[in-house]
Amino acid sequence: MAGLELQRTGGLSADSLFRRITGTGLLALGIALAGLIVAFVGYSNPLWAIQSPVDFLTSATWSTGTIDENGQVVDALYGAFGALFGTAATSLIAVLFAAPIGILAAIYLVEFAPPRISAPLTFVVELIAAIPSVVFGLWAAGDLSDRLRDTIEWWIALSFGRFIPFLSEDPESPAADSVFRAGFLLAIMILPMVVAVSREFIRSVPISLREGYIGMGATKWEVIRDVILPTARIGLIGGVLLALGRAIGETVAVTMVIGNAEGVPTSLFQPGQTVASKIASNIAEASGEVAIGSMAALGLSLFLLTTIISLAVRMLIRRFAFTGGRA
Amino acid sequence: MQMDTIAKLLTQPTASERSRQRVSWVMRTLVGVSAFLAILPLVALIAFVLIKSAPYLVPSFFLNNPLDTMPGILNAIVGSLQLTGLTVLISGPIGIAGGVYLSEFASPRVVAIGETAIDVMLGVPSIVAGVFAYLVLVPVLGFSGWAAVAALSILTLPIMMRSTQEVLRLVPQAIREASLALGVPVWRTALLVSVRTALPGILTGVILAFSRALGETAPLLMTARGTNAENWLDFSTTMNAMPIVIYQYAAAADDLLIGQAWATALVLMAIALTINVLVRGRTVNSRTA
Amino acid sequence: MATEKRNTQATSTGAKDELAQAAARPAAHAASRAAASESDAGRLVLENVSARYGAFRAVKDVTLAVRPKSVTALIGPSGCGKSTLIRTINRMHETLPGATVSGSISLDGVDLYSANVDPVRARRVVGMVFQKPNPFPTMSISENVSSGLRLTGGTSKSEIEGIVEDSLRRAALWDEVKEKLKQPGTSLSGGQQQRLCIARTIAVKPRVVLMDEPCSALDPVATLKIEELIRDLAAEYTIVIVTHNMQQASRVSDETAFFSMDDDRAGYLVETGPTAEMFTNPKQALTEGYIQGRFG
Repeated sequence: MAGLELQRTGGLSADSLFRRITGTGLLALGIALAGLIVAFVGYSNPLWAIQSPVDFLTSATWSTGTIDENGQVVDALYGAFGALFGTAATSLIAVLFAAPIGILAAIYLVEFAPPRISAPLTFVVELIAAIPSVVFGLWAAGDLSDRLRDTIEWWIALSFGRFIPFLSEDPESPAADSVFRAGFLLAIMILPMVVAVSREFIRSVPISLREGYIGMGATKWEVIRDVILPTARIGLIGGVLLALGRAIGETVAVTMVIGNAEGVPTSLFQPGQTVASKIASNIAEASGEVAIGSMAALGLSLFLLTTIISLAVRMLIRRFAFTGGRA
Repeated sequence: MQMDTIAKLLTQPTASERSRQRVSWVMRTLVGVSAFLAILPLVALIAFVLIKSAPYLVPSFFLNNPLDTMPGILNAIVGSLQLTGLTVLISGPIGIAGGVYLSEFASPRVVAIGETAIDVMLGVPSIVAGVFAYLVLVPVLGFSGWAAVAALSILTLPIMMRSTQEVLRLVPQAIREASLALGVPVWRTALLVSVRTALPGILTGVILAFSRALGETAPLLMTARGTNAENWLDFSTTMNAMPIVIYQYAAAADDLLIGQAWATALVLMAIALTINVLVRGRTVNSRTA
Repeated sequence: MATEKRNTQATSTGAKDELAQAAARPAAHAASRAAASESDAGRLVLENVSARYGAFRAVKDVTLAVRPKSVTALIGPSGCGKSTLIRTINRMHETLPGATVSGSISLDGVDLYSANVDPVRARRVVGMVFQKPNPFPTMSISENVSSGLRLTGGTSKSEIEGIVEDSLRRAALWDEVKEKLKQPGTSLSGGQQQRLCIARTIAVKPRVVLMDEPCSALDPVATLKIEELIRDLAAEYTIVIVTHNMQQASRVSDETAFFSMDDDRAGYLVETGPTAEMFTNPKQALTEGYIQGRFG
């Protein structure tokens, strides 16, 4: 009797010990997340002492100020509008190219390619995701950027530049770096993510639905347009959002081709900056708690943006799971 | 319409049908072209890196340090392997433990919260982890390997937790119940049945996290910072790494350095692609968000 | 494939005789559609049909004449190629990778596999109801019914509304859904969903309706409703139904074809005849064994 009891408590305590050890792992993640939030809020605090978050978001002037006769920093203004604008512009350009091509490529992989081609092709696309972003940056800075300038960028500037100043470029002396080229590079980098997630959701559309519509006398494309895309819609949006989050946070590759110019560019074909590239190129020079605060504030805005996207994707995909894509 | 004979219905195409078929054909072509465009970058990138780096791939490139008369990147290769190795050693067990807890013990409420936290952490850009380490750790530890490992661990932890949880989820409940019914305690069941069954998948997650950490650049620039010296296992001071070399040499005005940036990119890419080919080739169809 | 077909047509004189018989037999409900000429009866003839998945032959040399405007049940053990066979009739089989068909299938004398018959067109004339109810989840009830009409276009909105109502009435579903036509098709119960799929199929006015175990996912009450519906539809359509359920075959069909599997797991037709005869006095011992085994 006593022996039995001993054994039972022994088993229980080993279980609860194991439970506690593994639970610590999850706790560590929670601590890291909380640490990020506390650090960014805390370190950005000194900045809010001299200016409001509204100025930070809406002003395009980024000035570390001057030192007056008393050794005090005056006239400092940290306006991140230019960087926020660049982040929005590059990531939207990225999604504009990557979403349609990625979704169509996923359709090819699932609906058209014979298994013999589909499997290796899927594999190759996933390999692109494994290439470090600094390698993309090197490739873009050393070759791709110039090619884009002389082809797509030149063509857009020629076709639309006359009517839309924001798409204009001096054909004689195009800028060495541009927002557009950074965005296009991001498109290439997020493409595998769009393809992988889209493929997953397109595959999850039941065969019975496809056959139902084929049986009604639909062509292959009509099946895709009327049944597969609407059914997988939520998942496709989720995939594009995830890719957008990746584009927003991408740093080195963008820093290597965007030119890191202050302010809002007059044209997409001029150099600019993103929040991430601004951090990368300014953080080494930031000294004093206000300047450090400005870096923390930039980091905080990136963190908030990507967190909102992660949560939105989570909610979307949950809805998809609950309703089978009907929502 | 009802009066059309079957022969007519079957053999005579209507005008709308011709245009429908044409649209289907056009879209089919467009879809194929898109797939081609999706793989084109990989081909172009690999070709370019190979061409640009070929002249610089000499033995001294791998065996010497940057300041030697025949400069090389040995210290960066060594540094990268140490930084990512330690990152995985630290974040691996923690991540796997968290994944086991989520899959085997946590209540639905904790699972929902934990999964949300993983999603958020997976979305954290690498530069944010870098800034975090720069703000919090660099003032205390200085520019150091430790700060870099901390930043990288923030990025790899959720990857390993997610992959562990997902592969454990695939272990059939019936196997667990069979073990529990035999009187095996929960912890032994979790380790010897669940984790053991899912071990290949868990290791895959670890290896992919290693590959991801190996290519990270932004966090390293703010923490390990790079150095010309060879650093063996001294994580308390600056360390060199391949991504740092690529980033810094790419901006140099010296042809040799630019060439070495390409060559380093080739080495880094070769490692990352080899890992992925080996791992994914075995477990095709693994989904990592 | 074309030459192979021509050969089989030329050599299979035995099948021709059976055809002549089938054509001579007056269709039970032909009178209800006096306007339709004899060439528009919906007479389906399969000759030496084989279906393959890659190298595997799932159906071997089936020759079968289906009586117009009646219900023909295909029965037999699992895996004997019944489903594969009916999928060849509306050219669904070939949509699977590596799947091929040989032999000839004709409808009122038109070879469904000839070069000038587009599979997309063939599927409008030969509709199909599937094993699992598969209403399109992103379409409402009325959109589900009108989906085939909207594909071809050329039908006005009011016409479509009329056809939707008419099809739902014929599928005995109108009274249950007339108040909620805008709701998703997936909001209905399983049996209702299957009747919705039948309404969707007949909305494009096919001549032949194929049913692949349409009740296998339904409860007995829903099954009985669908069976009644099948009997009603036989007045207008040539119906071929695959079923595992012997009682169902005996309740709904006019003719029954019994399939079995040879040593290579290829399905073949054992015998065919009027359902009453097949169930009481089958010619082949194999058929008798199967039917008695099932009836206990």
